[in-house]
Amino acid sequence: MEDRVIEINFGPQHPSTHGVLRIKVKLDGEIIVDAQPVIGYLHRNAEKLAEMGSYPKGMIYIDRLDYVAALNMELGYVLAVENLMDVQVPERAQWIRMLMVELNREASHLIWLGTHGLDMGMLTPFFYCFRERERILRIFDEITGSRLLYNYFAIGGVYSDITPKAIEMIKAWTDDFGSKLEEIQSILGKSYIYVSRTKGVGVLTAEDILSYGVTGPMQRASGIKRDVRKNSPYLYYDRINFDVPSRTEGDVYARFLVRIEEMRQSIRIVKQVLDKLPQGDFYNKKYSKPMLVRLKTTGESYVPTESPKGEFGIHLIGDGSSIPYRVRIRSPSFANLSSIPTMLKGYKIADLTAAVSSIDPVFGEVDR
Amino acid sequence: MIPVESESSTKNGMKVVYVAKENIFQYLKERKEEGFDTLLMISGVDYRDHLEVMYHLLSSSSGSRLIVKTKTNDEVDSVTSLWKGADWHERETWDLVGIKFKNHPNLKRILLAEGWNGHPLRKDYPMDKKQYVNLGDDGEDIVSYEKTEGY
Repeated sequence: MEDRVIEINFGPQHPSTHGVLRIKVKLDGEIIVDAQPVIGYLHRNAEKLAEMGSYPKGMIYIDRLDYVAALNMELGYVLAVENLMDVQVPERAQWIRMLMVELNREASHLIWLGTHGLDMGMLTPFFYCFRERERILRIFDEITGSRLLYNYFAIGGVYSDITPKAIEMIKAWTDDFGSKLEEIQSILGKSYIYVSRTKGVGVLTAEDILSYGVTGPMQRASGIKRDVRKNSPYLYYDRINFDVPSRTEGDVYARFLVRIEEMRQSIRIVKQVLDKLPQGDFYNKKYSKPMLVRLKTTGESYVPTESPKGEFGIHLIGDGSSIPYRVRIRSPSFANLSSIPTMLKGYKIADLTAAVSSIDPVFGEVDR
Repeated sequence: MIPVESESSTKNGMKVVYVAKENIFQYLKERKEEGFDTLLMISGVDYRDHLEVMYHLLSSSSGSRLIVKTKTNDEVDSVTSLWKGADWHERETWDLVGIKFKNHPNLKRILLAEGWNGHPLRKDYPMDKKQYVNLGDDGEDIVSYEKTEGY
């Protein structure tokens, strides 16, 4: 029996590992008997780097964690710093933050959807998703000046105000993205091949989810309806209406449906934010740039936020100097990825890419 | 009931409790049975004279959160038998902060190469000394201070 089991390496360089993930797979024929992920190929130790400079300096490393949802990462950091230092943020800045974060969630989910289709052997949704994402990136370019890593949120507000042109672009985008999303969903969801390759594959039960600390869309696809935006609201998520989609199957197809539905909810949020956007300052004038590097504090703070991958938060500990003593990053992909051994055991080798890409791992965040 | 040494809170009102390191496993087991069913992360902090381990707990039904801390000098009990997810978090804490976990099934480095010298998140880690990783003939990583053909 034992000599029938062969061990193969999946990755670290493989088109469908979404980065540099290596999985040691033990196979009995086609059946996976054991799968152990090996990570660390993109390790830069962002925690140590952030502990070496002043509070605002840490931002540039936090940006580069989940590089397809950089604004969601920045939000976790600024909220923790502001909470630690009792910084007051103007109302307009908070609404702008919410708008940007939801747009970035869409961009991140679109990347996932496109590459997930690619992993399942379909090239078309990839182009459709990247076309839509390009429109979001142009909005970001108009507002922040960059397309991938923004460094846009500042302690006490945001770096620049939203221009009327950007608002026009966002409005045009929200008006027709819904129908585009319908189109993309039907390419995958109405394909017999896609559905039969994802239904009942990579199942995680609610028990596994809790045991591994899995959060985000993966958790909601397994029947645990929990969203940090709803359960412990930050920014002004308690002032707007949105639903938390959830499924009970816990397989790859359920995760696909949950993420698609989340994108619809994000459009709803963006529309409501545009209606409610108040006039006023976009940053707290007390915290101008020369002031920021002199910020000092003691105490500790952990503010959970809902990033596209799950619960993201930063535990900050200050020791009274202008340099943070400890910056501990809670990265959702790290915990989600650790569930791979349970998720793959007993399935066929052909299901591996479907299951791994349904986690939506981004290695900047896993390896930090 | 396991006694709590001291209580405090974070700036946004999250409860922080200190527990003696001999009792940490029993304390976390009691909390798990009480409803704190999710372990969000385990992390370590180097306070120069002692090390601290932090456990972030979350109750998925009520949404309440708890941060459990314990002071140690080198090792604490592993909680992998309570939460499977603790496996990777404990390996990471060993890798970067250098805290050992008793009864952990596979306490190896996870982010850095096996054989790395020192633990980077310790405050006395020499930042100016570069280490290079090479691939050995047997396929395992070799770490050295000398720059050879590696990366």
